Amino acid sequence: MREVAIIGVGSTVFGKFPEKAIFELGAEATQAALKDAGISPEDIQFAYYANLYGGMVEGQAALRDAGITDIEITNVENACTGGATAVRKAWYDIASGLYDIGIAIGAESMTTSPIAGKLIPPAKGDPSGELGMNTMAKFALSQRRYMDISGVTLEQIATVSVKNHHNGCTNPYSQYKKEFSVEDIVNSRLICDPITQLQSCSTTDGAAAVVLTSLDMARRYTRKPVIIAASVIRSGDYAFRQKDITFSDVTFKGVNDAYTIAGIGPEDINLCELHDAFAVNELQHYIELGFCKRGEEVGLLMDGITSITGRLPVNPSGGLLSKGHPLSATGVAQIAEIVWQLRGQAGSNQIPDARAGLAHTLGGEVADLEAGAVGVHILKV
Amino acid sequence: MTKVPFQKGLFEETNGEPALIGSKCGSCGQVLFPAKSVCLNCMSTDVEAVRLSRDGKLYTFTTVYMASEHFPPPYTVGWIELPEDIRIFSQIRGWQDHPLKIGMRMRLYIETLWQNEDNEVIGYVFRPTTGEILR
Repeated sequence: MREVAIIGVGSTVFGKFPEKAIFELGAEATQAALKDAGISPEDIQFAYYANLYGGMVEGQAALRDAGITDIEITNVENACTGGATAVRKAWYDIASGLYDIGIAIGAESMTTSPIAGKLIPPAKGDPSGELGMNTMAKFALSQRRYMDISGVTLEQIATVSVKNHHNGCTNPYSQYKKEFSVEDIVNSRLICDPITQLQSCSTTDGAAAVVLTSLDMARRYTRKPVIIAASVIRSGDYAFRQKDITFSDVTFKGVNDAYTIAGIGPEDINLCELHDAFAVNELQHYIELGFCKRGEEVGLLMDGITSITGRLPVNPSGGLLSKGHPLSATGVAQIAEIVWQLRGQAGSNQIPDARAGLAHTLGGEVADLEAGAVGVHILKV
Repeated sequence: MTKVPFQKGLFEETNGEPALIGSKCGSCGQVLFPAKSVCLNCMSTDVEAVRLSRDGKLYTFTTVYMASEHFPPPYTVGWIELPEDIRIFSQIRGWQDHPLKIGMRMRLYIETLWQNEDNEVIGYVFRPTTGEILR
């Protein structure tokens, strides 16, 4: 396998753009990534395009408007992990030597999706869906038990949201760009007790794209290629094998695969973009990602270690909570954020001397499974 | 109105005693709900239908303040842990009598879940019956 590097990234601003078609968002991100890489549309040999709520061959429509036709285009769906899956597949096509240069894109319009303003139910025919299950209820159930067992308070969980909204204020791509206090978070509208509106990600539209090539070729385009040290996608195991619903086994397994492949450990990670669809998830993921032992996660947060000025900044972009969560775009956008950080181009959110970053996405509701899939990428310079 | 189950094959009521219908693997012992004709743990086809325990304990719960397809808000749902070492997702009723706590003893009932034009749609719910904490 060849080493693979990222030479260009691009993103739309994340927000509510119901007037924009999904392919418009995708084309905008693609054009930005091509410009960043300093290449022409005809240089792209293949593309993976992640989208969940659009129609058929969305990728061809987006790439058409970015000047890319007459190549191999694959449309990808893997729920919230769709974007990470597109990057993973593009990584493989270059690592294997099949192609030399390609692009992975994720695009989603949540405001025009069938679930806009609703809670996401499981698939038709799943009894739990008929009985009132949805994605937020699932995590509210996890949060209730987590708080009961660990003694972690709602105010501590809300502090995740405060931190990520703070980071989002100075990220030009972020949806909210607004500070919130612990009281604001706790007292916002109760949706699935104990999860309030501001402990949850919002309805967001957006797209992101990354251009990949072999590391050898990357040096022709840039003096600072960002290397993909690990690219992992893993599906969830049966729910009856999950001993504790507050611990994501698939995240734990996926990240350990990634550390092994990259030959580094959690202590070598300088920043992390993780799947904070709900504030509580971030605390739980600290443990699964190996950043701390169980019981130490609140300390990591409250002592400022995961703040943007801390030793291990988590979600310096604002995360899903503040930057937003257009499902299929998220995995690609996280990687774009880490690339900017590792190149020293993250503006006022820049983390000094960042050498290695980790991106984590988790998603998809499937009856009898812990989750649809996890995506983990480790990037380094 | 005719009483119809919200899905077929999930539960039964024999001599007034309701039960969920699961499957138990003759090879590895794994119990599953809903029942499967193949054991998902070991892929054995040596599985039989079993009536699951009526009583369990509350693993966790939430009250939802947005409407679902069939339930107006607010409604309460949770996971109930049965002695067969499986968790059942269910509507929870009767929490007004016993404020819910994790570990609380819960009991299965068959009740009307919702009504549509022609039918009374029935299904399973769990209720706290004694307020006793089991953990």
